[in-house]
Amino acid sequence: MTNKTHLFDEHVKLGAKIVPFAGWDMPVQYTSVKEEVLAVRQNVGVFDVSHMGEFFVEGAEAEAFVDYLVTNDILNAPMGKAIYSPLCRDNGTVIDDLIVYKLQKNRILICVNASNIEKDFNWMKSKLSNFSCTLTNASDSYSLLALQGPKAYEILKKFLNELPDMEYYSVFETAYFQSPVIVARTGYTGEDGFEIFANHSTIKSLWEKFMASNVTPCGLAARDVLRLEVCYPLYGHELNDELNPYDAGLGWTVKTLKPNFVGKQALLSKASAFKTIKLVLEKGIPRDGYSVLNSKNELIGTIASGTMSVVLNKGVALARIKIDQYPEDEIFQVDIRQKLYSAQLTKKPFVTGGHK
Amino acid sequence: MATNIPMNLKYTKDHEWALVEGDIVTVGITDFAQSALGDIVFLEVPEKGTHLNAGSTFGVVESIKSVSDLYSPVTGEVVEKNSQLEASPEKINSEAYEAWLIKVKVKDASETNNLLTAEQYTEFCNTSH
Repeated sequence: MTNKTHLFDEHVKLGAKIVPFAGWDMPVQYTSVKEEVLAVRQNVGVFDVSHMGEFFVEGAEAEAFVDYLVTNDILNAPMGKAIYSPLCRDNGTVIDDLIVYKLQKNRILICVNASNIEKDFNWMKSKLSNFSCTLTNASDSYSLLALQGPKAYEILKKFLNELPDMEYYSVFETAYFQSPVIVARTGYTGEDGFEIFANHSTIKSLWEKFMASNVTPCGLAARDVLRLEVCYPLYGHELNDELNPYDAGLGWTVKTLKPNFVGKQALLSKASAFKTIKLVLEKGIPRDGYSVLNSKNELIGTIASGTMSVVLNKGVALARIKIDQYPEDEIFQVDIRQKLYSAQLTKKPFVTGGHK
Repeated sequence: MATNIPMNLKYTKDHEWALVEGDIVTVGITDFAQSALGDIVFLEVPEKGTHLNAGSTFGVVESIKSVSDLYSPVTGEVVEKNSQLEASPEKINSEAYEAWLIKVKVKDASETNNLLTAEQYTEFCNTSH
């Protein structure tokens, strides 16, 4: 039995192709992946990402608890800030990656991956006993839209009671008529944009307003291309239960100067076993699971995520290379159906998003 | 899904079309297939002289997010491949029945009688998807 978001019928009406994803029937594409990607890069698109999980941490020690749970610095971030962070086990492996929204001193929203809701909630609950705060899984009460693209602000401010020109990675509580809405200037596309948390009927009404304003509905396929073009990690690909944040190139999110947090001891002493790199192919499309070889045709790693980039019109991939086999010459090849294709290492994201 | 299925062609259950002209069979993928695949961005078909068996894979078509094998409708030898299409595979989306992939010289033309007629393929698309 799969779950359906409260917008499911709207997606079907729009002719979306529906696929099962993380236990949900989700729209993978409406018209064309290419058109949907370009709409977000150049104009504005909207994604129904209501399958994602929302937790609230409330009480006197809400901040301290979340700061203890995650590797990034929550305590020193100003109120109204959004913070991306891995959530690690004591041994440093990654349970999930998530965004922490500091709504108020005693009230924090955490948005987690749909496939990890139960795992994350149980883990967080198991760490709660020493803190004076509550943890609530509000995923069933919230729908979530991601309005993304250069025209996102222009569109969104028309419909909400109040919407300042917020900083990137900040959060603001506003309203749609009488209903409370949490708006964050975050997203998974590299473009300017907002993630909008509200009850189901509010989100349905906003969706209808966006459709009437010619916002392009976008599916999960476009979302994956967009995030990969700007090299954002996806849990299950660049991150998983066996890897630590360093393996995925997320060392910048591990604040080892914090007094204490789950996984600190392990992460202080742990070296990474892998290096996650960016590859561009002039010919051939790299796909998840394909082998990466060095110039001597020896297996040194795997493609974690790969696709055809809509913007570059080239194959692009994030690849996980075993650190002890990382080649000095930095020459890489990808095995595509038993043929070797040359892959160029690049240090910068494949596409530069236009976010603030 | 509205789909175009010309009467003059034969079809496979893997959504290839075949135009039979004597012992030369021209092969492509159907409108139904291109629509299901979405934006096609890569095509790999065999060189002239390659021997193909009916029902076996002969190439690959890739959309932005997927990889699909191509299955030969007939047994025979590739006499021509559409090199221009490899350079602009998106034409499969815009004109599925103009965008042929390969031409195959068949040993036994009667083999094409085993392929689906337009009516049978229409029925197949309506019931299986």
